[in-house]
Amino acid sequence: MRWLLRLAAGPLIWAAGFSAIYALHGIGCAEGWALVATPFGPLHRVALLGGWIATLAAVTLVVARRPRPALDRGDRLLGLGAWIGLVSVVVTLAPVVMVESCPAPYP
Amino acid sequence: MTLSPHPPQRALALHRELERVWGRPRGVRGFLMSVNHSDIGLRFMVLAGIYFGIGGILAMLIRTQLATPRGAFLDSPLYNQIFTMHGSIMMFLFAIPMLEGLAMYLLPKMLGTRDMAFPRLSAFGWWCYLFGGLILLGALATGLAPDGGWFMYAPLSSREHSPGVNADVWLLGITFVEISALCAAIEIVVTILRLRAPGMRLTRMPLFAWYMLGTAVMMLAGFPPLILGSVLLELERAFDWPFFDVARGGDSLLWQHLFWLFGHPEVYIIFLPAAGAISTILPVMCRTTILGYEAIVAAILGLVFLSFGLWVHHMFTVGIPQMALAFFSAASMLVAVPTGVQIFAWIGTMWKGRPQLSLPMLHLLGFFGTFVMGGLTGVMLAVVPFNWQAHDTAFVTAHLHYVLIGGFVFPMMAAAVYWLPLISGRVRVRGLGETAFGLIFLGFHGTFFIMHLTGLLGMPRRIPTYADHPEWMLPNLISTAFAFMMAIGFVLFALDLLLHGVFGRRSPRDPWDAGTLEWTLPLPVPSYNIAAQPVATQPSAVALARGEGALPGAPRGRREVLAGSTLDARPQHVAVLPGNSLLPVATAAVIGIFVLLLLIGAYRLAPLALLVVLACGWAWHRFGRDIRPTRVAVTPGLILPDQTGLRDSLTSTGTVALLVADAALFGSFLFAVGFLGVIAPEWPAPASGLAPAPTLTLIGLVMVALLAASVAGRHGGRTAPLAGALAGLAALAGVAGLALMLDDPTRHARDALRAAALGFVALHIGVGIVLALIARDRQPGTGAAAGRVWRLWQDFTLVTAAALVLVAAGQEALA
Repeated sequence: MRWLLRLAAGPLIWAAGFSAIYALHGIGCAEGWALVATPFGPLHRVALLGGWIATLAAVTLVVARRPRPALDRGDRLLGLGAWIGLVSVVVTLAPVVMVESCPAPYP
Repeated sequence: MTLSPHPPQRALALHRELERVWGRPRGVRGFLMSVNHSDIGLRFMVLAGIYFGIGGILAMLIRTQLATPRGAFLDSPLYNQIFTMHGSIMMFLFAIPMLEGLAMYLLPKMLGTRDMAFPRLSAFGWWCYLFGGLILLGALATGLAPDGGWFMYAPLSSREHSPGVNADVWLLGITFVEISALCAAIEIVVTILRLRAPGMRLTRMPLFAWYMLGTAVMMLAGFPPLILGSVLLELERAFDWPFFDVARGGDSLLWQHLFWLFGHPEVYIIFLPAAGAISTILPVMCRTTILGYEAIVAAILGLVFLSFGLWVHHMFTVGIPQMALAFFSAASMLVAVPTGVQIFAWIGTMWKGRPQLSLPMLHLLGFFGTFVMGGLTGVMLAVVPFNWQAHDTAFVTAHLHYVLIGGFVFPMMAAAVYWLPLISGRVRVRGLGETAFGLIFLGFHGTFFIMHLTGLLGMPRRIPTYADHPEWMLPNLISTAFAFMMAIGFVLFALDLLLHGVFGRRSPRDPWDAGTLEWTLPLPVPSYNIAAQPVATQPSAVALARGEGALPGAPRGRREVLAGSTLDARPQHVAVLPGNSLLPVATAAVIGIFVLLLLIGAYRLAPLALLVVLACGWAWHRFGRDIRPTRVAVTPGLILPDQTGLRDSLTSTGTVALLVADAALFGSFLFAVGFLGVIAPEWPAPASGLAPAPTLTLIGLVMVALLAASVAGRHGGRTAPLAGALAGLAALAGVAGLALMLDDPTRHARDALRAAALGFVALHIGVGIVLALIARDRQPGTGAAAGRVWRLWQDFTLVTAAALVLVAAGQEALA
C-alpha cells in the first residue's frame, strides 16, 4: 500500500493544490481581496501565487526524492508519477500568473 | 519468493470436488442464490445489453422525431421523457454496469484466482441494478419517467418546475443503481490488490487490471458527489430544504458542480475499462506484445487524477471568472496528453506487430477512427471561446457520441467477440459479425459526423421541432437515415452473439493463441475457474487442471482462495469466501421497497424497511462468525491460516476503500457548504436561534462520546465493542438533542446544511454501533478483523464530526 501511495503522491499533491487554489480564488473574488493591498501586491494575487509556489515546492520535493537510479519497473513508475504531478501543477495552475483574477468573462 | 506446486492429481476428480463446492443449485433457486463471479459478471453484461437495446430504441424514436422539421411523431412531454431516459439508460444502466460485468467476469480469471473478494456483494450489486433499472423502466412505461434531461439541472428539476414524481424517479432510482457501482468498485479494488496469484507483482500484472484499478478508484471518488447531489435535491423536493433555491441561500449552480464532479470523471470511468480491453486484445491481434507498459500505467495514473480537474468545462457558459475558466481549460487540454500516450502506444504496438484483420481487430480499428475524432473535438470544446459558441448545440451531442461509442462501444464489441469462447466454449461463424461491424461503423459516422455540422449551424440539443430552420432539415434527415443503418448493425451484432451458441463449433483452448492466464482455463470456464492457483510465471493449462499449483481442489468443502500482500502478492492467508445465499437478493429487494416507499411519499413507513435492511445486514455477518479456524498447506512447505484471528482481512481492505468513497462524499459536502457560503446570494444567513450553552453542552457530549468509542476501538479488549456501542448510543442521544434545537431547515440553506450534517453524523454513529456489536458477536473467531473494521469506521466518524463542528463554529464566528 505504501508503494501505491508513493506512486500517487505527485498527483495527490496536484489535486490538493488545485482544490485549494480554486477555493482561494473563489473566496478571494467574493471577499474583494483584489482590492486589498499588501507589500507584494494585491492580496488575491499574493494568496494565489503563494498557493501555487507552495504546491510547486511540495511536488518538486516528490520529484527530487524519486528513486535514483531506478532499479526496476516499480522505481521507474514512481518517477513517472512524480513527474506527472509536477507537470500538472505547472500547466493547470499557470493561469495564476497569466490571467486577471476576478472579472466576469462576459463584456 | 519461489513456491513449489502441489504434485499432480486426477483432473476429473478435482473438477468434481470443486464443482460440488463452487457450483450452484439448478433452476430458479440457483439463479436467486448464485454469488459466483462468472454468473454475476455475465448477468451484468447481459442485462446491460438489454438496457442498451432499450436505450437504442429510444434513440431511434428521437431520430424519427427529428427527421423532419415539424415532427409530429412524439409530443413534447413524451419527447422530453424519451431523451432523458435515453441518456440516463445509456450512462447508468448500460455503460457502467457493462464495465462492472466485464471486470467481474474477467478479473479473477486474469489474476489467477477463483472469485471476487466479496461474492455476496457482487450479487447484491446486481440485484440493486436490476431493481433500480426496473423502477426507471416502470416509470417510462407508465408515463412517469424523468423528463429534465439526463443531468437533471436544478431549478428545472425542483418541485416548483417539475411537480410530478418524474424527477424523484431519477434521483432515487439512479441512486439505487449507484449502490451497485460502489459495491463493484470496492470489490474490484480489493480483488486486484489482495487476490492476485502468488508472486504476481503489481508492476507485472495484466494491464487490464491496472485499468480496472484506476477505474474503481475513480468510481469511489466520482460517484459520491452525485449521490450527495441526488440526496440534497431529493431532500429539497420532499421536505423543502432549500439547497438549490436562490431565494433562501441556495444556488442551482451547486447542482451543476456536484453533477459534473461526477459527470466528467464518468467519461473516463467508461473509457478506461475499454482501453484495458484494447491493451489486452490489440497485442494478440497483432501477434506481438504491448508497447510501453510503463508509459501506459503512468497514463492511467494521470487520467485518474486529471479527470477530476475538468468538471467546470461543462459549465463554461454559466458565468465563471476568467481565471477559473483558465484552470479548467488548461486541465482539459492537458488530459489529452495521457490519452495520446495510450493512442501512440497502441499505434506502436500495431507498427511492430503483424495485425490480422479478424473481427475484434475490425472493432478496434473502428475505435481508432472514431475515438480520435471525438478526442479532437473534445480539445476544441476545451477552448473557452469555441465552447461558448458550441455549448448546448448538436455539436456537443456529436462529440459525446464519438467519445462514448468510439471509446466504449467499439472496444466492448471487440471484447465481446474476443472473450466469447470463455463464456460459451464456442467460436462464432464468420460473416454476420463482419457485416454488423460495417453497418455500425458506416451508420455511426453517417449519423454523427454530420451532426457536428448541424450543431455549427446552430441547432440546440433536445428540441423536438425546428420549423423555423429549414437549413437543419437535410443534415437531420441524413442523420436519421444512417441511425437506422446503425441500429440494424447492432441487431445483427446481437444475433451473431446469440446464433454462435447454436451454429458455432467448439472452441479449442486459447483460440486466439494469446498465451494469457485466462486462456489456460477450460472452455467454457467452470464455476471455480482453476483447479489450483498458479505459482509459476507461465503455468500450463494441463498442469493447472491437475492441481499443480497452490490450494488444489476443495478438500475442506469451503470456497478458498489465497490472499496476499499488495505490492508483491506474497501469500498471507487463505480467504474463505461465502457460498450461495439468498441474502443478496433479499437485501436488495428490501432496499427496493424502501426506495418505492420514498417515491410514493410514505416517509413514515420507510424506516420500517430500513429496519429490515438492518436485520439482513446482521444475518449477512454471520458467515464470518461461523468460520472454523484452520491452517492450510497452500503449497508443499507453506502453511497459512485462514482469516480467523487476523486483523488484516479482505474486509478491512474493503473498509478502507469504502471510507475513500465516504471521504469523497464528505469532501463534496464541505464543498457544498463552502460554495453556498461564498458564492450564493442571500448570505449571510439569518441569525441562528441556537442557544449557546445547551448547544455547546450537547456538542461536547457527542464529541466526548465519539472520542470514547474511538479509544475503545483502539483498546481492542473483549469488552471494548460493548463499551464502544454504549458510547455510540450516548453520542446518538446528543445528536438527537441537537436535532430538536436546530433552526427550521426550510428557512435558509445554512440551516438545511446543518440539518443534513447532523443526519450524516447520526447515520455514521448508528452504523458504528452496529459494527461494534458485530465485532462483539464475532469474538473470538473473526473478531479481530471485525474490530479493525469498526475502529476504522469509528475514527472516520470522529474526524468528520469534529470537522463539521469546526465548520459550524467558523460560520458563527464569521456571522
